[in-house]
Amino acid sequence: MNLTEIELDALTEVFNVGVGQAASALSQLANATVRLSVPKVEMISKQNISNELTSQGADRICAVRQDFTGVLNTEAVLMFPVQQSLQLVQLMVGDEVPLEQLGEMEQEALAEIGNILLNSVVSGMADVLKMQFDGSLPTVELGPVADVLCGNGQMQEKVLSLQIDFAIDALQIQGFLVFLLDVESIDSLKTTVRAFLKDLE
Amino acid sequence: MNPLPDLNPCPIWSSWALAHLPVGLLVLDSQTRVVFVNKWFLQHAGLMTEQVVNKPLFEVFPQLTDSKLEFFLNQSMTLGFPTVLSQTLHPSPFPLYQPGVQRTQDKFLRQSIRIIPVSGEAALSLGQRYTLIQISDVTQSVIRERLLKAQADKLKGMANLDVLTSLGNRRLLDESLPLAVRSAVKIGRPLSVIMFDIDFFKQFNDNYGHLAGDDCLQQVAQVLRDVCRRPHDVVARFGGEELVAVLPETSGKDAVQLAEAVLKGVQNLKIPHADSAAAVWVTLSAGVAAFDPCSAATSADLVGAADRALYAAKHQGRNRVCTAWGSTPT
Repeated sequence: MNLTEIELDALTEVFNVGVGQAASALSQLANATVRLSVPKVEMISKQNISNELTSQGADRICAVRQDFTGVLNTEAVLMFPVQQSLQLVQLMVGDEVPLEQLGEMEQEALAEIGNILLNSVVSGMADVLKMQFDGSLPTVELGPVADVLCGNGQMQEKVLSLQIDFAIDALQIQGFLVFLLDVESIDSLKTTVRAFLKDLE
Repeated sequence: MNPLPDLNPCPIWSSWALAHLPVGLLVLDSQTRVVFVNKWFLQHAGLMTEQVVNKPLFEVFPQLTDSKLEFFLNQSMTLGFPTVLSQTLHPSPFPLYQPGVQRTQDKFLRQSIRIIPVSGEAALSLGQRYTLIQISDVTQSVIRERLLKAQADKLKGMANLDVLTSLGNRRLLDESLPLAVRSAVKIGRPLSVIMFDIDFFKQFNDNYGHLAGDDCLQQVAQVLRDVCRRPHDVVARFGGEELVAVLPETSGKDAVQLAEAVLKGVQNLKIPHADSAAAVWVTLSAGVAAFDPCSAATSADLVGAADRALYAAKHQGRNRVCTAWGSTPT
């Protein structure tokens, strides 16, 4: 089961609405202009994401996870290379001192930033596609890419992956948002996106 | 999802249990009116139940109006998703204190906050969307992390310090010079390096002893610190009696002036040096190298150029400043 190009394009637009809302909330928080964009949405294997992150020199990543349940059940995982997550926290806090490690307090700040982003993206999707979700609180995890992505399951499993580009002042940060979906959930996502596209015709 | 059995009925011990939780709990109705508050919250807010319950949250705490907490509370209640407010980004939204301490603004508890709106189906069965605000006191964690960071900073500072002169050491120089070069290239601004050497220092040590030698080095180091004192200047002991100054945003011409000021400062110390062929006092020789931001020179090239200029200064009779781009007698 897979999503077609047109369906993925539709989702890209839907997710861009969501990250737009997140950007305004994050700008409020940072007292600086935060711009977010989703250049592409793909169905790819966990292995591919792992390769992509590893090729950026990020063998260890920082992830913010949240569960969303409803018409479809998904675990949303927002991932950054550890170094980039440090820069992100630093920018949001407006701290000039370079951080060397993600302490307890920085991890919580990252949970908040990820929480804003995940809530906005999922509620944006829920609005446009007329779905309802319940959400959990975020948790933060640090570790090798494969461990974070593959708590249970196979590296060959496909996931819905969004590349998210952050721009704060002069700095660019790239993250990935991955939706882990089981087969039934991919089915209902496909059905919902089809219905949405049909309504547009 | 199984909302109803969780919410109804309340066991008889539930209010007793809630009263003993070491976190603050507030439940708001859909109009942000407080319908429940627990004992921990009241104790730390210094309020009585009747001052809080059945009152709009923003009437009980007018200081929260237009705050980030209000923004995220509204958003959470609208979207129906739980929200985290971290201590790092919002240190102390609620005016909560440790009971018994003097109540001033700087004594606010550091707070980690979770806003949890009742989700879709449960909200339907309850007739409206209630929202739980949970506040944990993380003051101790904040203090602990701050201590750890201060310790780490101190250790890092010590690792980069020369014990005798309290200038930076070779490690600091090796770390900071490449950074200074990179930033000079990035912002297209000049950067200069001066290398100093105490003239006939071996003879000074032989004549006056090593303790006097140490004292002399310390005094010279102090002069160097006094002259090169802008925040981004780095002064370090390169080895033996060689000292280095890394001067960002400084042209070669300005660096020569600073080098001459250091030489003059050391002469004015008037430390007797009977075995010097250069003067009757302790004197310095200096070599200045300027970095061209457009060149591909490395930090090693820069140190090498300063070192060659220093060699020229010694060769020309010491107690003078020479430059990597030609000599300028003092």
